[in-house]
Amino acid sequence: MADYENKASNMYFSTNFKATEKLRVFSTVTYYTAEGSLQEVLMPDVEDRLDGDLEDQDFDMEKIPSYSDLDYEFLSFKLGFTYKLTDAVTWSADGDYVDLKDNQGYVYGIETGSYFMVRSGFKVDF
Amino acid sequence: MKKLFSLFAVCLILLLSVNTVFAGEDTQEKYSLWFGSHYTEFSDYTKQVGKYDLGDDEFMPEFKVNYISKSSNGMFSLDGHYYDDHNVYGKVRTTVGNTFKANFKYRSMILQEGQDLLTVMEAREYLPSSGNAGGKMLTHEILDPNADYNTHRQEISSNIEAKLSNKYNMRLVVAHRSILKNGTEQKIASTHCFSCHMTSMTAQVDQTQHQFEAGIDASNNQFDLGYRFGYRVFENHATNATVNYEDAKHPVHGGAGGEFGPRMIYEDTTVEFSRYPKTEKMSHRLRLKKELGNGTVSGSAGYSKTENKYTDLSNKAYTGHLGYAFRMNDNTRMNIKVAVQKLQSDDPFIDLPTYREGATDGNTYDFDYTRYSSLDRMVSKFDAEMIKRLTPKVTLSLAAGYHMNNRDDYPVYDDGLNTKKMYGQLKVRHRKGLRYNSTLKYRYEKITDQYISGRGLFEESGHGVLEPLVDTSKWVFYFQREDLRYQDITSLPTQVHKFEWRSTYVPNNQISINMGLNAKFDKNNDLDSLEVEHTSYQPNLFISYNPNLDWTFNTGFTYTYDKSSLPVTVALFDG
Repeated sequence: MADYENKASNMYFSTNFKATEKLRVFSTVTYYTAEGSLQEVLMPDVEDRLDGDLEDQDFDMEKIPSYSDLDYEFLSFKLGFTYKLTDAVTWSADGDYVDLKDNQGYVYGIETGSYFMVRSGFKVDF
Repeated sequence: MKKLFSLFAVCLILLLSVNTVFAGEDTQEKYSLWFGSHYTEFSDYTKQVGKYDLGDDEFMPEFKVNYISKSSNGMFSLDGHYYDDHNVYGKVRTTVGNTFKANFKYRSMILQEGQDLLTVMEAREYLPSSGNAGGKMLTHEILDPNADYNTHRQEISSNIEAKLSNKYNMRLVVAHRSILKNGTEQKIASTHCFSCHMTSMTAQVDQTQHQFEAGIDASNNQFDLGYRFGYRVFENHATNATVNYEDAKHPVHGGAGGEFGPRMIYEDTTVEFSRYPKTEKMSHRLRLKKELGNGTVSGSAGYSKTENKYTDLSNKAYTGHLGYAFRMNDNTRMNIKVAVQKLQSDDPFIDLPTYREGATDGNTYDFDYTRYSSLDRMVSKFDAEMIKRLTPKVTLSLAAGYHMNNRDDYPVYDDGLNTKKMYGQLKVRHRKGLRYNSTLKYRYEKITDQYISGRGLFEESGHGVLEPLVDTSKWVFYFQREDLRYQDITSLPTQVHKFEWRSTYVPNNQISINMGLNAKFDKNNDLDSLEVEHTSYQPNLFISYNPNLDWTFNTGFTYTYDKSSLPVTVALFDG
């Protein structure tokens, strides 16, 4: 028998601000953590089931729990604005930054990585 | 991809034509076009942070289009977004009076998948007497290091509803959905005996799934009747992955091939593995709803057949339900429902090579058997719920049910498990105007004869129990040890407690606070020496603050805790 524990926290904060009649600014921050771990493996007592010259073998299970350790931190930040150039044309720009920190690595190895995206464009209303 | 785009374009033209024909003189149009560019950059491991974005470290074009046309006679709208060749979205909707309604949707996306490095698939026998490593081992090999697995998923769907007749409000309903997946994925094969060896390789993915549904609905003030026919096909058109099973030999010294070979189903051959099925499903469903007394009675009956065209194996499902929802008095409502479902699978005969065929010592064995599926079952459910308004602010709901899941042939043919579940549920809702409302719910479930593995987890000692297959031999084989297994095993509970709390508080027009808690505790005490338990709780808090028309703030927090106490199986060499 063994216990498997999983703990995850997710927090976010977002705001939208109309700075002027033409300018609107928005942002979102998200932070997420997740941990998973197998606790000590306790093998059942089988002494009463031994028969003949069989002996109970006491295997070392000490390292088995570490196979399943997971430990992630995730941060995402988004910032952008829209600016009304004319009644029909709006300029917008935004950016995303995502950072994942994998403190353990498991099936796919260490998955630590980051992602950055910037975007800008014009919206025309007809 | 071109076919789907063509189909989407044809649908668009058709809907535009319909809309043009029915457009009124008072038509109002509004549309916008967004055009721009995006740039992406990745660092380190990209498969997780870029799970749905292949990215490209150069400026890529991006477009969005929105169009809506409204008149007194109907509506037409179009929304589209092109991010890159792998991420495209389009949706077209139209409504013409109350006689015609349709929408078409196209969506494509990319899914990046990591490569299982198989690093934990490595072990070697240890010989305590000598303190040395033994010859038996498990190894792995990645045949495609640095493989870049990803699949491009495209989905196009359509829903059309047209009025056929004003009499009984008769309507034709037609829906369609196609899903296409192309790319590559990881396949892992395991060989055995001579080389306990895991190999990883790249396989192509070229899957199509088409779904079609058509039916007729009719209704008036007294009844609502409908029929649906469904059809679905799935196929993977890519060449299947293959693996070479080496000739079976002794794991330590590589000899005794004549002994080990005839114990294998495959050896010294190359075969396909991990093959997707080619499935076809047809279904029929009839439903009826009718006013009866001071309530509404509803019922449905369904039949479906799913067939794997490669194996000629099929599964049939028969379903039915009957419900009655009625008002007991001005403050009390009652919902009663009875449902049944029968699943029936084919029982194929599995013809296997004779174990140790040609052996002169008589120790041969025939493993042929008829496979009775654990899918076969008869599910019966009875549920009842009473909802009573205690005061203008407080509503109470009491629910109870009894469910039976009778698996005819599992774990043993004609001697199956009949799992029974009883539950009771209490729900109270308090509402104080628009300012405050709160809901509390508790549910208890008791399950007997829970689903368990057909084989035990542990082995008894075999001394003095196992006998040679023939009197002239002293050999006892590993497969005979199956008879020694004991200990029921399952991760499913026999008792479940669930608790839910939700509250919303709106002190003024600027602030809104939502908070809640989900908690669940379950356990199974019916297992001999094992005790299965699960504990989970999830509190959450969300706050929205709008101090004035210019500022908006939103924040939230969710915490999840799960704990499972479960059996762990550790693989050991030498049986």
